[in-house]
Amino acid sequence: MFRAFASLLLAAAVVLGAPLHAYANDLVVALTADVLGLDPADLNDNISQSATRLMFDGLYRLDHDMKLVPDLATSYEANEDATEFTFHLRKGVMFQDGTPFNAQAVKFSFDRAGNPANHLKRQSLFSMVAHTDVVDDYTVRVVLKYPFGAFVNDIAHPGAQIVSPKSVQQYGKDVARHPSGTGRYELVSWSADTLVMKKNPNYWAGAPKIDTITYRAIPEDGSRMAMLMAGEAQFIYPVPPQLVPTISHDPRIVVFDKPSIFAVYVALNNMRKPFTDVRVRQALNYAVDKQAFIKVVYNGYADPMDSPEPALMDFYKKQGSYSYDPEKAKQLLAEAGYPNGFDDTLTGVNSTLPVRGMEFIQQQLGAVGIRLKVEELEAGVLTAKMFDVQKPSDATITMLYGGWSSSTGDADWALRPLLATSAFPPVLSNLSWYSNPIADKGIQDGLATTDPAKRAAAYATVQAQVWKDGPWIFLAVPHNLAAYVKGLKGAYMRPDAQFDLDPDATLN
Amino acid sequence: MLDYLARRLAGTIPVLLAVSAFSFLFVHLLPGDPARLVAGPDATPADVEAVRQAMGLDKPLIVQYLHYLYDVVHLNLGRSIKTQQTVAELIGQRFMPTFWLTVVSMAWSLVVGIALGVLSGVKRGRWQDQGSMVLAISGLSFPSFWLGLLLIDLFSVRLRWLPTGGYSDWKSLIMPSFTLGVAVAAVMARFTRSAFVEVTAEDYVRTARAKGLRERVVIWKHTLRNALIPVITLAGLQFGFLLGGAIVVETVFAWPGLGRLLVDSVSYRDYPVIQAEILLFSFEFVMINLVVDLLYAVVNPEIRLQ
Repeated sequence: MFRAFASLLLAAAVVLGAPLHAYANDLVVALTADVLGLDPADLNDNISQSATRLMFDGLYRLDHDMKLVPDLATSYEANEDATEFTFHLRKGVMFQDGTPFNAQAVKFSFDRAGNPANHLKRQSLFSMVAHTDVVDDYTVRVVLKYPFGAFVNDIAHPGAQIVSPKSVQQYGKDVARHPSGTGRYELVSWSADTLVMKKNPNYWAGAPKIDTITYRAIPEDGSRMAMLMAGEAQFIYPVPPQLVPTISHDPRIVVFDKPSIFAVYVALNNMRKPFTDVRVRQALNYAVDKQAFIKVVYNGYADPMDSPEPALMDFYKKQGSYSYDPEKAKQLLAEAGYPNGFDDTLTGVNSTLPVRGMEFIQQQLGAVGIRLKVEELEAGVLTAKMFDVQKPSDATITMLYGGWSSSTGDADWALRPLLATSAFPPVLSNLSWYSNPIADKGIQDGLATTDPAKRAAAYATVQAQVWKDGPWIFLAVPHNLAAYVKGLKGAYMRPDAQFDLDPDATLN
Repeated sequence: MLDYLARRLAGTIPVLLAVSAFSFLFVHLLPGDPARLVAGPDATPADVEAVRQAMGLDKPLIVQYLHYLYDVVHLNLGRSIKTQQTVAELIGQRFMPTFWLTVVSMAWSLVVGIALGVLSGVKRGRWQDQGSMVLAISGLSFPSFWLGLLLIDLFSVRLRWLPTGGYSDWKSLIMPSFTLGVAVAAVMARFTRSAFVEVTAEDYVRTARAKGLRERVVIWKHTLRNALIPVITLAGLQFGFLLGGAIVVETVFAWPGLGRLLVDSVSYRDYPVIQAEILLFSFEFVMINLVVDLLYAVVNPEIRLQ
């Protein structure tokens, strides 16, 4: 009468009173939501991408510290102008469907993902590509339309993973349910809320040690914690900050607590009064106690922002801090002509942590005379409000509580979409309508070369300028909080909030 | 009888047509751009446009509706915007978990609820009545997410008797169906009691007693049979609601049912899935109402179907 799930799930569900580490080599990972698809070029959610990271490889990838490491490529060369990139490919690699990996497969994957006619969600990763050429079976050259210094980071994104051309030809649209990559794990089954993968015995770097990995979608925090404690899951994410104390004393459980690359801030509409005045924007930064914010919203599991980009991003440069100084805030407000503060609306999404954060900001700014109304919106409504604009004067949001995680790990995608003049909505997400020629030039210079020293200098200028201008209330970089059983080694949350495993991860 | 059935079934067609138009308009007029949501937070306009075209949302609304209607008539519910799966497959995967959860919850809560209700009605004002009604009020007042988490903590984390959740074997059904059925049992008990009490005051019950029938016959044959009519109506409604998915219980017990699918689909503006689910729920209600009407005739042969 009931469909049977994979045997390991049944085992996990039925065995009574077993210790937490009884299911050696079968790893169950409990996450919040379902996997939506397994076509790397057509995904933008963390859970699905973390699954394709296990099943597919890219030419390069970002390791657990967001550093670039070679994957299916062994090395690359680029010209000084950052318009031509030549990749040397790993030899003797096979796709899971038995076809060989080679330069043709790379060209096929890039051409497919970048072709607008295919309507794939990660098309923009290839928007700068003019053409991809097969030089020989194991060398591929990508020629760009314009300089793009962050290109190797760009193709380290899961959206640029290499798919078996045969699988796409065979399954068409349904390839999202019939993945074939070169990765460590291959698909066993995928039903409503459960994805089962088994190890790829032919993996080019040696078969992994954990036999199977099962992703389960467990939306309720308490249920996820119960699964871990009952031994039904060996890794859970996320653990809400306020629930960490309930498991941190359990000797069988390890709490994972590492910084993310998710920056949380309030974007102020820099084209609207009173935020046109830099003194007002700075005043708001002085008026908020970031340490208290972190305690209240994240129970201490976050770090204050000290640059427009989080510390784990490429070319990050620490800028100092806006210390908590309500007196100085009041003084700056008075200088700007608002001795009695002003009224405004803080808008954000209606989920637990943002609501808690917005109420905290409301209280803090209230203390310096700024009267805020908090507007909590459903995600779809909020997104429409953010992007249904054609010009700056259309914007209806004046203060937006939000955040950003740069999926490529490079400074460009942490700064350009949020702070460049060319990124005003609806084009990208410059929701503070910030426009500064020095920042714009730095953002452009950073892309115009592949020379790391030149790029670092360019992005240092941008970060300094933005920090000084305060287009946002700089708040915090929360930690990724997960938990796992003691016997599990080498499993972690990447800073971009995707689950991942070291190649030599073990469970016993 | 057959004629009656045929007419009732034919009558569902205009209902479903109206529902399809209404649900189509409803989801398309929701604020929020599905293309934007699907394309993700760091999408460029080109990405968003690619998604919009892939979804056919660049066409006028009326064209989209006619396409939709054409597809539905041909039993093609389309593909989910979110997962690219066919909607039929997606709903098919979720229907059976919801169906079993509903059937088991309804089965035990009907038996327990009606039994408690009859007990209260018969022993009106005595401790059996008060005890049953305390149980019923508690069952109604207990929030199901809390009850669910307490059960998980006791039976899964501490005792390790039952899985915390998921849809696997019969054991996985125990806690969710208990949690879901508690409120239904409570409602049924309260409702049965008041229907019972009402019928007890009727002349024909007095007559039955007066002509010396045994109390058992008076209760089960004369009173309960008549009291059952409103109870069946309510049970049908409850059944219909549960078949629509139980969002809280499905969430707490990680149960892959239709309720969670609907919530997820709404937050993604997954139009084809929302529309198909609403259509399915309407169809289920129409069918349940039909069955309820047939049951009236079974319980009370004086009711004629025509």
